[in-house]
Amino acid sequence: MNVLKALMTRRRFLQVSGAAGVAGAGAAKLVGFTAATSTPKTAGAQARGQTRVTKNICHQCPARCGINVYTTNGRVHAIYGDPGNPIANGKLCPKGHLGTYFLYDPDRFKGPMRRTNPRKGRNEDPGWEPITWEQAYDEIAGRINELRKNGESHKFAHFYGRGWGPSDAGLYGAWGQLIGTPNSAIGHASMCAEGSKRAKAATDGNNSYNAYDYRNTNCMLIFGAGFLEAFRPYNKIMQDWGHMRSKSPKTRVTTIDVRMNPTMAASDRYLMTKPGTDGAIALAIAHLMLTEGLWEKDFVGDFRDGRNRFRAGQTVRAFEFEEKWTHGLVDWWNNELKDRTPSWAESVTGVPAREIIEVAREFGTTRPAMAIMERGPTAHTNGVYNGMAIHALNALSGCMFAKGGLFYQMGPSYGPGPANPADYMDDIANEMRGKYPRIDMARTERWPFTAHMMQESARNHNAGDPYKLKMAMFFSTNPIWTAPDAPEWEKMLSEIFVIDTSPFPGETAMFADIVLPESTYLERLQDSPTYPFEGWPMTALRVPAIDPIYDTTEFGNMMIEIGKRIEGPTGEYYRRIDSVENLLRHIARGFADNPGDNGVNDFESWKEKGVWYRKPYHWRQHRGVFYEWDGEGYNRVMSEEEVKEKLIKTASGKFEFKSSHLEGHADYIQRELGIPSARVGYPQWVEPKHTGGNRPLHFVTPKTPLTAEGRSGNIPHAIAIQQPIVGGNDRTYLEVHPQTARDRGIRDGDRVRIRSDLGTIEAYVRFVPQHRPDTIVLPYEHGHWAQGRWATGQGRDRTPGNPNEITANVSDPISGLACYYTGKVDLERA
Amino acid sequence: MAKWGMVIDLDKCTGCQACTTACGMENNTLPGENWQDVLFYSEGEYPSGQMKWLPRPCMQCEDPSCVHVCPTRATYKDMNAGGIVFVDWNKCIGCKYCMIACPYGVRFYADEKPLVEPDLKNIFPGENGQLWSPPYQGPDEDWRRGIGVQPKGVVSKCTFCYHRVSKAPEGVADLDEDDPELVEFVPACVRTCPPKARYFGDLDNPQSNVNRLIGNKRGVRLRDETGNRPQVYYLGAGAGVPAFQRRERS
Amino acid sequence: MNDGNVMKGGAGTGLLVISLLVMVASFGYAASSLATHGHAAFNASSNVPWGQPISTYLYFALASSGLGLLAAIPLVFRVKAYYPIAKRCIFLAFIVLVSGMAVLAMELGHTFRMLWAIPFGMQVQSAMFWMGVLYLLDLLFLMWKFQRLEGKDWDSKAARQIGIASFLGVLLASGNLALIFGMMSMRPFWFDGSLPIYFYLTGIASGMAALVFYTYLAYGFKREAMPEPLQRLLTGNLPVLFAALLGVTLLFVLVRMVTGLYSNMPEVSLVWSDYILASPVYHLSLWGGLLLPFLLLLSPNLRVQSGVQVLCSVLVFAGLFAERYFFVVGGQVIPLFKGTWAWDIIHYTPSAAEWSLTFMGAAMIFVLYVLGEKYFNLSDSPVTTAAPETSRAATAGAGA
Repeated sequence: MNVLKALMTRRRFLQVSGAAGVAGAGAAKLVGFTAATSTPKTAGAQARGQTRVTKNICHQCPARCGINVYTTNGRVHAIYGDPGNPIANGKLCPKGHLGTYFLYDPDRFKGPMRRTNPRKGRNEDPGWEPITWEQAYDEIAGRINELRKNGESHKFAHFYGRGWGPSDAGLYGAWGQLIGTPNSAIGHASMCAEGSKRAKAATDGNNSYNAYDYRNTNCMLIFGAGFLEAFRPYNKIMQDWGHMRSKSPKTRVTTIDVRMNPTMAASDRYLMTKPGTDGAIALAIAHLMLTEGLWEKDFVGDFRDGRNRFRAGQTVRAFEFEEKWTHGLVDWWNNELKDRTPSWAESVTGVPAREIIEVAREFGTTRPAMAIMERGPTAHTNGVYNGMAIHALNALSGCMFAKGGLFYQMGPSYGPGPANPADYMDDIANEMRGKYPRIDMARTERWPFTAHMMQESARNHNAGDPYKLKMAMFFSTNPIWTAPDAPEWEKMLSEIFVIDTSPFPGETAMFADIVLPESTYLERLQDSPTYPFEGWPMTALRVPAIDPIYDTTEFGNMMIEIGKRIEGPTGEYYRRIDSVENLLRHIARGFADNPGDNGVNDFESWKEKGVWYRKPYHWRQHRGVFYEWDGEGYNRVMSEEEVKEKLIKTASGKFEFKSSHLEGHADYIQRELGIPSARVGYPQWVEPKHTGGNRPLHFVTPKTPLTAEGRSGNIPHAIAIQQPIVGGNDRTYLEVHPQTARDRGIRDGDRVRIRSDLGTIEAYVRFVPQHRPDTIVLPYEHGHWAQGRWATGQGRDRTPGNPNEITANVSDPISGLACYYTGKVDLERA
Repeated sequence: MAKWGMVIDLDKCTGCQACTTACGMENNTLPGENWQDVLFYSEGEYPSGQMKWLPRPCMQCEDPSCVHVCPTRATYKDMNAGGIVFVDWNKCIGCKYCMIACPYGVRFYADEKPLVEPDLKNIFPGENGQLWSPPYQGPDEDWRRGIGVQPKGVVSKCTFCYHRVSKAPEGVADLDEDDPELVEFVPACVRTCPPKARYFGDLDNPQSNVNRLIGNKRGVRLRDETGNRPQVYYLGAGAGVPAFQRRERS
Repeated sequence: MNDGNVMKGGAGTGLLVISLLVMVASFGYAASSLATHGHAAFNASSNVPWGQPISTYLYFALASSGLGLLAAIPLVFRVKAYYPIAKRCIFLAFIVLVSGMAVLAMELGHTFRMLWAIPFGMQVQSAMFWMGVLYLLDLLFLMWKFQRLEGKDWDSKAARQIGIASFLGVLLASGNLALIFGMMSMRPFWFDGSLPIYFYLTGIASGMAALVFYTYLAYGFKREAMPEPLQRLLTGNLPVLFAALLGVTLLFVLVRMVTGLYSNMPEVSLVWSDYILASPVYHLSLWGGLLLPFLLLLSPNLRVQSGVQVLCSVLVFAGLFAERYFFVVGGQVIPLFKGTWAWDIIHYTPSAAEWSLTFMGAAMIFVLYVLGEKYFNLSDSPVTTAAPETSRAATAGAGA
């Protein structure tokens, strides 16, 4: 026995020293698995082969978490957060680990294909026939050359969803310029979350999502942001959540939303408001902060004599108040806020006034305190005004650009690309420049505040107004399923030549004439500057873990290869660009003068570390004074002009409670929303116009943490944990308050029909007594009818149906954001 | 030898299920075979309803009822492996008595009807005696400890990622994923937990962080009345398992 | 002698062929399902690990024990009026147990591994280990005892000792089987130290049903074709004993039901209120399968009629099969620590493959039974050749 014991101890010793030896060799090398291979077989454990770790970034939401991809014997088998990536910090959200399943999804497209069946439709088999990349590129380029010759190059459109950086969506600008189309590209932003960006453009002049300093905030109001489910960067948010909830003092969190969800459940307090009324609560909080003198005087200013004259219902004389970094507070009070009492808000939202008062006092007396929002309050016809009311709280609490507050994102130090498109314009390109509006009419008088209006494209095409497209190429978007009133897209895509580039089958691909399958993200070389995060610049790189397992390539290479085949100087431009890798090598030269904090200074080191970043953020507001980083600290005081130029980019250079941005199109707003043009600048209560009119139930379709950029519908491991709230492990279920169901003779588990103005979809019901009785909830994931064997298995393509089929195509006139959560519906037993 | 223990802070846990997917990826489990799972519970009614959740690995009990009932000693508590409860897939006869006897429902018989169809077991058919052979399976395999993809007809369970933990330097008090020297030895669920709600360390070492946390934050064991004495402790509010109640049907 | 045994003739051969076909077909179906789908052919799952194959095994094992206990009446307790059923009891106990084990073998993940892993494991803490040991002993003693009876050794010292050993083996095996469930404190529906008594009672009741049915079957359901002592037993003590067994079984079931319903603990009370008593099948089996035969057998006029006896045996057979099923599944239907993933009480209905194992086991009993009737004299009894005074003593003994 003693001999055995000695052997055991010795073996363990060897094992450990092996591991420690390799660990000492360097953190970049993988320690665990290498040690495993040196473990004696007698231990019972076996490990097959050497493991290699490559850098990448996750593709399942916009957050861009750096990942370490583990490959052994040519098979990818593990993905963990990259400890060297400032978003991931070694962590991942539940989606991140699913990446291997995407790579080895047996339903993936295996190579380029051409349609043989001329008829298009849901039930038409496209009759795919494999073709070579050469054939595909030649055919597409041939068609574009033809359009250009006929003066119809504007009839080619690019549509894209998740763009990552210069090596993919970044190529669109030059393409549009050189080919001569205004439709390069129609982005998905108006079907995403433009509402919050416009609310910020209207108030602080930044048409952008915010960066946040969660770790230092002591109080948070979360308005409909799905903070612990789908807010980006979800992974980092949860890391910060762990910190916020265990630091001293613990961050107090109040969540305002329309349905029971994990964010609410994990908060200190929740207010369950009626859909589209979040702005009313924000206004009441602002009202109370003013009447009780809880605004941040260093940032907002104060009455000249220090006496608070804000009293409910009573106006204040403007000259009595001296504003510092805000503009129009007294006007706002007199014209809107003085009547927005908590009891008024109770009458609009159904949330008791005393609870609103509690929240307002806590928010007003805690610093730093921030109010955040996303699609919940803004995906309504009054979305921008809701958003402005919420964002106004950040000015009142003085957290703009402050420690523990909100700021904006800086861009990376990229070098120039291999060629400048302006040098390659031919006659066609010059002639077409500015000649036609975009197919979606964004940035025109029809949608003066918008950048993209993808959801308008199919409707406009079908109406021939402003024209009909002839050809469209889709990248990382599937509007035929995701756009409101999705069936409109089926009509458009039936009429035009369609190129889809998804690695996976999908509804858009069903209508494609040519499929150019992209590599999955674990097989790609691709860069990606960060989404708004903590302000300081960062850009990450996808490094292929393995060669593509099928005949696929990067989307950027597809565009470059097609471009090379365009006649005239355009082809020359793309020959200069050459390839994604060449492009990335060029832009990475910008790091030489600006090496990252982790030492990344060229393409090779970028590949090795996976990310370039440079801390800190350059600006900070402290007690009403703006400072700029001087290399050592926030020491340089900024002038008003500098603040206006760099931070608060409004006409006044101040945070505007009376928005000059909106007043610039006052007539448009008066026409579209019925607000008197003199009042359009104020954050204010505007009644949401719900589609579906008198139907009794609000219909909301949130994302769960497993909603992976529309693709987890075909991932069995994601399906199995998709909707834990009601145990949705084989499909997603419609969450209904029992009373609502009972009134309609519906029992738990019944199949039901949800009816809107546009039609019906079906779903199975599960009772959630914690929800509002007037709001039914169907998490957004299933109902895909062409995404693969699991997406359609067990009836997941029909029950639940695709909620976008019954979502009316109505948008907030200001932001252009599609009003996904504003529909009203009937519910009945199927 | 260490006595490995896990601490889960429910005040930090967001119920995101990253632990579940990390475990599934690391251990090649099938959909629904959640060695690590997050259990949701809700009570009350609008506007004051509540929802809570409990992440649930195997409790690696000090007095594991599953071990007592196993007729072949296929399931065993290995004191030389930090007290982890393993299933020896070479000995398991698939009688499932351990699944009956486990009060925490952490044991799985994946040779069953698939939760999500079509069945992955048919898409990636088993080779070399495996129940299924996915292309993304990890390199570690040790059937004597239930590590890797299981064969047909056996019970599987959480191993505290023994294939990782076993490579940790001897005598280490805590396996903290933030330590670059240790990160590869940390169990998948602990390593990935974004809010850092999970901790893993030596319960026999009074200096370990896990013991400090249990001491400072009044750690509790779930369903302690079973007498199984888990090596997994919970901190914070909500560390109780609500009794089963029937749902309203109509 | 035994001229009336129709199993020895063409009818027996016919039954043999039919049951052989059923057995082979159901085995074939189960085996091919298992070969193609693995255990996915079963509806038992990680949530309900033990399904109908286990309850079938349990049913057969306990019926076997019941038969063994009935055999002990003449062979251990020397109640000589029961001699006419002794040999058939022993034989039936043997084949029913063998059939049950066959069903279990088809259910396990690794049957052949069990053959070495259990003995080499020597896990004496596991009731499952003891189940293996004790039922193996039971089987051996039954064989040994039957061999003695076949050699007409009814009354030697050795025969008696084997009889006593067999009796104890049966008691321990079935009692231990009860404790496999009864010791599970984490499954409160089962957790019950007196569970062995429940198992004995229900086991003897099902054994009695089997005995009555197969005895009648042997004689083409004609009592007049039976040997006279057997007729005497069937019109005398046996139906009274049958009634008494059903009465006590009913009492035990009702007491379990009342305590279960009274309990606040959902793992017990909901099993009764929302699973067991919510099932029409259970009501049918309880009232039609236990109460009705009990009432019929209470009547002195009815209980001696052969038709009533056969009917009661069939009813009890079916009723106790359902009782076992609800007992086994009932212990698992309240989800154990699953949160919302188990949205409600767990739903389980046996799959076709699981049913085929039940049919296979039942058909196997018929096959072995016919073979037994054909090749052995199962009605053999020392009474037929014994002196009248022995017979009288037996009657007196039984009446006491």
